[in-house]
Amino acid sequence: MTTASKTKTGHLSYNRTVGVAAMQGRGFYYPWAVSVAADGRYFVLGRGSDSDPRGTRYTVMDYDEKYYGTFGEFGTGEGQSLWNAGTAIDSQQRLYQSDEGLHRIIVRNLDGDLLNTWGEFGADEGQLNGPTGITFTANDELLIVDHQNGRIQKFTPEGEFIGSFGTPGSGDGQLNLPWGICVDSAGDIYVADWGNDRIAKFTGNGEFVANYGSSGRGEGEFDAPSSVAVDDNGYMYVADWANHRVQVLDSDGAFVDVHRGESTNSKWAQEFLDTNTEEKEARATANLEPDIEFNTDDLHEESAHIEKYFWGPTHLVFDNDGRLLVVDSNRHRLQVFDVG
Amino acid sequence: MTTTMTSEKALMAHLMRRAGFGASSEELDRLVEQGYDETVEQLLDVDRPNRMSDNLIRRYHSEYSGMMGNLSAGANWMYRMVSTDAPLREKLNLMWHGVYATGYSKLANGKVLHDQIRMFERHGMGSFKNLLIEISKDPAMLVWLDNVQNHNGAINENYGRELLELFSMGVGNYSEHDVKEAARAFTGWTIGNTEYMTMKCARDSVWPYGRLSFHFEFKADDHDDGEKEFLGHKGNFNGEDIVDIICQQPATADFLSRHIYSFFVADEAPVPEWPYKPPRDPAAIAALSNVYFESNYSIKAMLRFLFKSDFFKSEEARFQRIKGPAELVASVLRLTEEYGQPNISMNPTSQQAQFMGQWLLSPPSVEGWHWGTEWIDSGALVERVNFASERFGNIDSPGVRSVVDRILDNSDEDLPPDEVVDRALSELGITEISDNSREALIDFAKKQSEIATAEQTPRERVVNILKLVGATPEFQRA
Amino acid sequence: MVTAKRNPALVVIQLSGGNDAMNTVVPYTNGIYQDSRKAIGLVESEVIDINGTLGFHPSMGPIKQLWDKGNVAVINGIGYPVPNRSHFRSMDIWHTAESASIAPDGWLGRAIREIDPTHGNVITGINFGRGLPRSLHAKGVPVASVGNLGTYGLLPDIKDQQTRDMALDVFSRMYGPTDGTDAVLQAIGETGMGAYLGADILRTAPEMYSSSIEYEAEVEIAQSLRDISQVLQADLGTRVFYTLHGGYDTHAGELENHSKLWHELSTAVGDFFSDLDEHGRGDDAVVMIFSEFGRRIRDNGSGTDHGSGGAAFVIGNAVKGGFYGEYPSLELNAQVEGDMAFNNDFRSMYATLLDGWMGIDPHPILGDNYEQFDMFRR
Repeated sequence: MTTASKTKTGHLSYNRTVGVAAMQGRGFYYPWAVSVAADGRYFVLGRGSDSDPRGTRYTVMDYDEKYYGTFGEFGTGEGQSLWNAGTAIDSQQRLYQSDEGLHRIIVRNLDGDLLNTWGEFGADEGQLNGPTGITFTANDELLIVDHQNGRIQKFTPEGEFIGSFGTPGSGDGQLNLPWGICVDSAGDIYVADWGNDRIAKFTGNGEFVANYGSSGRGEGEFDAPSSVAVDDNGYMYVADWANHRVQVLDSDGAFVDVHRGESTNSKWAQEFLDTNTEEKEARATANLEPDIEFNTDDLHEESAHIEKYFWGPTHLVFDNDGRLLVVDSNRHRLQVFDVG
Repeated sequence: MTTTMTSEKALMAHLMRRAGFGASSEELDRLVEQGYDETVEQLLDVDRPNRMSDNLIRRYHSEYSGMMGNLSAGANWMYRMVSTDAPLREKLNLMWHGVYATGYSKLANGKVLHDQIRMFERHGMGSFKNLLIEISKDPAMLVWLDNVQNHNGAINENYGRELLELFSMGVGNYSEHDVKEAARAFTGWTIGNTEYMTMKCARDSVWPYGRLSFHFEFKADDHDDGEKEFLGHKGNFNGEDIVDIICQQPATADFLSRHIYSFFVADEAPVPEWPYKPPRDPAAIAALSNVYFESNYSIKAMLRFLFKSDFFKSEEARFQRIKGPAELVASVLRLTEEYGQPNISMNPTSQQAQFMGQWLLSPPSVEGWHWGTEWIDSGALVERVNFASERFGNIDSPGVRSVVDRILDNSDEDLPPDEVVDRALSELGITEISDNSREALIDFAKKQSEIATAEQTPRERVVNILKLVGATPEFQRA
Repeated sequence: MVTAKRNPALVVIQLSGGNDAMNTVVPYTNGIYQDSRKAIGLVESEVIDINGTLGFHPSMGPIKQLWDKGNVAVINGIGYPVPNRSHFRSMDIWHTAESASIAPDGWLGRAIREIDPTHGNVITGINFGRGLPRSLHAKGVPVASVGNLGTYGLLPDIKDQQTRDMALDVFSRMYGPTDGTDAVLQAIGETGMGAYLGADILRTAPEMYSSSIEYEAEVEIAQSLRDISQVLQADLGTRVFYTLHGGYDTHAGELENHSKLWHELSTAVGDFFSDLDEHGRGDDAVVMIFSEFGRRIRDNGSGTDHGSGGAAFVIGNAVKGGFYGEYPSLELNAQVEGDMAFNNDFRSMYATLLDGWMGIDPHPILGDNYEQFDMFRR
């Protein structure tokens, strides 16, 4: 739950990077989303690579990069998943994850023991077609972005259908392949409307309130946003996925701040370099922020070349100390920001 | 030999097999209506979009975005081959990938290979001179052929040699001295952060934060600015000057023409045999070379000329190529239409080309793959036959469903055996077939009806025919 | 029991990912080893001791049994000059036996060409797995690639047997002899008939086979070795068998992963030889196990990163067991960039197998003369 301080002005300042690339074990292989438990630990859900099942796992760690282990498996069996998408923790500290490949929800305790698997493919009420972002309301109702159906569905933690809102499209209250979701302290719901390049706000009952942002690269414009988090002052923090940046808007949707990322070596990264000293030495001589003339206007290219930049940020969320965690997927790390 | 289409439609099918990845019968009807020359112009328009956008691919397939490995970079390309409205562009990329064959083994970075293919997209149908300059600056190529080790005063000849031997003129048209002088001219053409990047390649390192893409860098202080003597010219040449001189050579025109002829008209012998074996059609090569010079090295002009030429349109040219593995996979998937949306199955699907002997972005060496009948050994043939027949046999694929609907005219009754076979052949783009194959298929259709059980539907019987059409020798050819 | 002299067969198992040689043949008494392997080091009470200073990984019981029979050769410190630590490139070097330049042909492909220059037998070489590793590739040399012996063949997805038989009949008619006017069609036809016949021959192997050995179910390497045993016992003239065991890229979680891998592998190899021995065929095959490189001497806190200096195994009744070559020194001044130095060129092992076991002149295959080990009992 968000416990951000009341004095925020919505400005981002880089704090640190945690995590490192690792196909298995300690580290991430295309991390996709993160949940923060009451005890402060980060449960980082990995997407992995389609050709390599090892990345489809949770990595459990904390802000100081203490490592607690991994769990989760690739596959179609019970408790296994194909395309991990979203993660959330309920008030009972049960860990939920969505699988947009098998159209279902997996529930575990924080030790990784499987508690439940539910969900059924389809377009009827209560059925799912590509569940992505998930989050809990203050009343422990699970909101699921049912993205191929262009709607948000609400369930009990046990998987009983409560209601839904939204239809596919581009009009007000309509959604085009939405991805991330969050709830603010007033109970309003925000959806990262990926295909419409905007953030959509709904009341807790699913009534449309407003859209923020439009297509583009300018301030307050988005290209395929993946995730949104809202602090107690109503500032919206948006993972502007295909612009490879994080933007902050105020509660009226006015532009406040933008950040391309400025990752540094995490503890785990430093340990790798200390073991592989010739790589460390070569890296020390390299200019990791080269000045390049790109032959395409695809920002994906810039982030592919400049390591400190976000490259495909898939999720962002506040931790228990009000720090913003940005899941920097293609770079296999979390960039952590303080919010001033 | 039996023909299954009107001659106009058969010609269009020929064009689409060569300049693209084939077309459904329905699309062919539409293109015939549009006209041949208009269709050629449409194919030459490289700016037409892919139905599967980059964003859509990247959202679902993490590794097709980060591309640390080459399987994902190849699968990303397969999506583009399958979903593009500019099939000639992707087809030509396959040709350039075979000519400028750059491989993963030494690079350990799928993204930089992907970047090279994207470069072909931008320059593959432009001026050949620009293309040669771009490939000489291409970061993956600079590492692959060691130009990053080519220093002022300590040359590495690898790139200079392959540029002349495999990329432009062919052996026998230059001296060892020319190789050395070319290498001198390319000194200082390297990638940024050479040491760190090549170390990451050599150590296959994804640490700490994944791969880093390479970028071209010209190091003036490592460039040999002295006088060079190259193919009879003298001057303080740099790499661009070398390319300029290469492009003026008749040998270059012939070499490029022969590649284009082999890829689009009829399989030539493998490149190493070219110095000893005349082209299949010397007049066609001469005509293409002529267009090369007249158009100031325009690849697009050469292709336009080729597709409108008699030697291309001729019956003699039909089915004179063996489909390459990636081409075969893409042509099947375009017919079955099973990738309208991203699907996790794309990885194993795109890997089928590897099982058939063409691992995209991992050619066996800088010589690329040997084409023609060398594509087909017994292991590869089993993979080709099984792949096509399995995909054509999947009635859940939208493309297969509509093919079956069209064959049965949306009715639910069996057609006469010869009728169902001819329609199936026509729908899957086989415009002519040997009597031997056709009779075998018709016999199968007959026997199948005779032993049919009540549970089996006429649609399922059509699907069995489609499977066997995918298994014909004719389907191996384009 | 069949006693006729058979042509010796070579079974190659490729460990993909870079097997950690130091945790396979473990210098467990060495202080540098203990200091370098704080997280994943194996100690005396865990390893299976060999000679008081070296021990096998705890999961290698079945291989230790073969060692005790004197049938296991361990080649220490195997590698090549200027080690490359990229999986693909280093594997290429092992496949092509060419370390200085990029070569398109594989050493086993060349060997198969020497064995059967006229391609009289389309299954002289068989790969168990999909797609052909470069080691088996050589221009014009037919090699079958068998994903699953039980379902191998053309049109396997036609489930109804009668329909499939009809379909295969169509296939053989379509690919049958042509009038020869179309050279390309003729070539396709000949290849098609080769594929058809090869599949037909291979289909007989499982039918002829029975064994009391139960290979581990759902373990790929076990199933591959069972398939190999079936084909070998069917006497189809196959001389070179090839298969992969993947997952050795143990950057993290090495203790657990490496244990599982070596359990699978050594159990499968043990079962394979028990199976062959049960049928009196134990003298007919030699297994060679290799990996593209070894790993760093120092661990990274949970696994090991890419290194150099590996260990290879040659196993069989015909093999003179023991260590070949010194175990590389771990002293700092003997290390190569933090890795074990190599002291045995892998092509010496290839030459030994080709000449000493297969009875083929290694020179045209390897392009040079390499010193051979005295490794075989005959």
